[in-house]
Amino acid sequence: MADLMSHSDFRVALEEAFSGTMAKDASFSRAWATGKLHKEHFVHWATNHYHYIGPFGDYLGLMYANTPDHARDAKDFLLQNMYEEELSDDRHTDLLIRFAEACGGTRAYVQDRNNAMPFAKGMQGWMYYVSGRENFVVSSAALIVGLESQVPSIYRTQYPTLINKYGFSEWEAEFFDLHITSDEIHGERGYQIVLKYADTPELQQRCLHYVREAADMRFAYTKALYQTYVEPDLGPWVEEDEREPALVG
Amino acid sequence: MPRIYFKTAEAYVDFAEGEEVNVLRMAIRENIDVPWQCASGNCGTDRLVVEDGAENLDPPRRRERARLGELVDEGYRLACQTYTRGDVTFSWDPDQVGLDDEPGSSSGGSRAGWAGTG
Ligand code: FES
Repeated sequence: MADLMSHSDFRVALEEAFSGTMAKDASFSRAWATGKLHKEHFVHWATNHYHYIGPFGDYLGLMYANTPDHARDAKDFLLQNMYEEELSDDRHTDLLIRFAEACGGTRAYVQDRNNAMPFAKGMQGWMYYVSGRENFVVSSAALIVGLESQVPSIYRTQYPTLINKYGFSEWEAEFFDLHITSDEIHGERGYQIVLKYADTPELQQRCLHYVREAADMRFAYTKALYQTYVEPDLGPWVEEDEREPALVG
Repeated sequence: MPRIYFKTAEAYVDFAEGEEVNVLRMAIRENIDVPWQCASGNCGTDRLVVEDGAENLDPPRRRERARLGELVDEGYRLACQTYTRGDVTFSWDPDQVGLDDEPGSSSGGSRAGWAGTG
């Protein structure tokens, strides 16, 4: 069995656990960032994203219930994260639907589960499973370090393209702007919870396992978005600039 | 290595050359006592004066401009909304509260929402 890592070594290990398969490098994300997508592709993206992150408050609620009273700072963090997703500002899913509507979609279409890929439903099921069944520190590693903390790096590339290349207004693309910064802080606080409470070698290794799994899940989901909706229009993804990362879907 | 100097707290954080980092995230990571609340550009609690290195910061986006209003022109930035790619020095009032919580405050803009639009 591995030894207990120091906080700094464990943090590096967590970062390395998802750095090989970051969703920002998947074909759909690359096509997005290089201005190749059409508005109907964005409607499909928003619809699937809705079914993937729409229940985020539910996931956090399950994690909250699984967190013991002595980890009060972790409980408070989860509660605050939930509040910020749903109530402190515009509801995050409403901002997502606003973006879909700017692309020609409708609220009813986005919210209809039948319009989501099996991959999106699988992602949702995986998140319900991990948040409901795993130790709170492991689910924090999976959902907050493995998934939520990736968001700023994805949207910081995609947001300027939405404004400058695709011609969306800042209002239409508010969903992305909000998540660039709020998920920086959620991600960082998630790291702090995981570093503090993963206090045995077994827990640390389990966190690393689930961070890898989270990154793989999101990468596969993002790749499936391209294959399902974009490939029929644009063909298989080919990286134009060979200096760019070669992770393609 | 580029450095964020949090002058009021007499603390700094170094980060790798070539990276762009979120100012509030770095403060939280190193347990530096920058006041903040919402992390989403709404409250203005984390407004910092840029004393040096403004040229290394990314320009303010919509939410930050809406929240700070004329304070942007006075050299303020919101830590939660600001990314830096180089050396920068910040100061602040350690007792400051959110812009809407200041007694009789008329400074700054308004909550970053879009009341009346869209
Ligand atoms: S913490 Fe509220 S505006 Fe930055």
